[in-house]
Amino acid sequence: MAHIPDGVLSLPVLVAGGTLAAGGLALALRRLDDRALPKVAILAAAFFVASLIAIPIGPTSVHLLLAGLMGLVIGWATLPAVFVGLLLQTVMFGFGGLSTLGVNTVNIAGPGLVLGLALAPVLTRLSPARAGLLAALAGGLAAAGTGGLVALALVASSKSLAATAPIVLATYLPLVVGEAIVTGLAVSFLKRVRPETFAAAPAPLAAGVHP
Amino acid sequence: MIRLVFALLALLAVAIPAQAHRLKLFATVEAGNVSGYAFFVGGGRAAGVRLTIRDRDGHLLHGGETDADGGFRFAPDRPIALVIAVESGDGHIAETSVDAERFGAGANPPLLAATLSTVVPEAAPAPAAESPPLDLSAAAEARIAALVEAATARAVAAQIRPLLEAHAASEGRARFNDIVGGIGMIVGLCGLAAWGFSRRRPS
Repeated sequence: MAHIPDGVLSLPVLVAGGTLAAGGLALALRRLDDRALPKVAILAAAFFVASLIAIPIGPTSVHLLLAGLMGLVIGWATLPAVFVGLLLQTVMFGFGGLSTLGVNTVNIAGPGLVLGLALAPVLTRLSPARAGLLAALAGGLAAAGTGGLVALALVASSKSLAATAPIVLATYLPLVVGEAIVTGLAVSFLKRVRPETFAAAPAPLAAGVHP
Repeated sequence: MIRLVFALLALLAVAIPAQAHRLKLFATVEAGNVSGYAFFVGGGRAAGVRLTIRDRDGHLLHGGETDADGGFRFAPDRPIALVIAVESGDGHIAETSVDAERFGAGANPPLLAATLSTVVPEAAPAPAAESPPLDLSAAAEARIAALVEAATARAVAAQIRPLLEAHAASEGRARFNDIVGGIGMIVGLCGLAAWGFSRRRPS
């Protein structure tokens, strides 16, 4: 699953993930908008709690990640939100590990962040129903992206692809469906009752510094 | 509103088999056999995951998969410290170790029983001939002591197994305090950030 524990990955993968996460976090914190703080905190809390509801599938179990939703609603702040959620899950529940914090942050937040940045501007112009469909696509793709990155991290740490790929595929397919449904419903609902949620999200991006 | 209700119902349906998300391994020693199972904290056995049993130096002693109930069983040929690990193939890993002392007296009860059955007939004629009927030879006494020790170890192992299982299951389980504490931490961080912003931009 997305919470890779200590002792599975090789050192180069850990260092690469840690460096990428640190750089992304620094960038994201510079772009953090004070008006978005409550949204970020709520989504971080939702992410933190969502991992406690896991369903066993085959030899493993899955739970919601909500990265697609985070990417659409809070953009760059997905990174700190996921980082804080993962840190607390590691310290309090022993999910994942401290050494893999960087890799896990990148794996979970990365796809959601990229999709959110790409699709959030489109979302503002859509009706709630269409926005829900687009968000479902984003949520599903974000989960699939996380699955791909987890498999990549495992294979790069010299786990055999033949052993990893079928399990990752089998566990992430239901997750993709679940994420798509939850993200779609959540965005369509937010779009209906608080359309300004998505109007505000890309604003700090447009005004922000371009690296 | 209806959508919200549906969303909540959907979440609830997902939450009913609520399980925390962490692979763990339970192992205990009974009568010289290591047995146990792999499970996810909060319930659910991990069936068909790769299992390896190694000694302290990393030599592979046993490799295979857990059965349909996530269980495994292994009989080492001598009392030895074991490191048991399971790996689900998608990044879940769990490891536990068993000390050589755990195999102690109960290591090979069939062997001990066999030795006793050969010892007692030998010892039996001796007390019959001499006056004290229970004057066993020192060797027989030592063997009986070992046998009693083995039987006690087996009985204790059977009694403490449920306790060990309960401990393994509760260890690492997400408690309500932890969940609320984590949410409080996030709220606090949010407040800290808001305070930082307010100091940076006094208006």
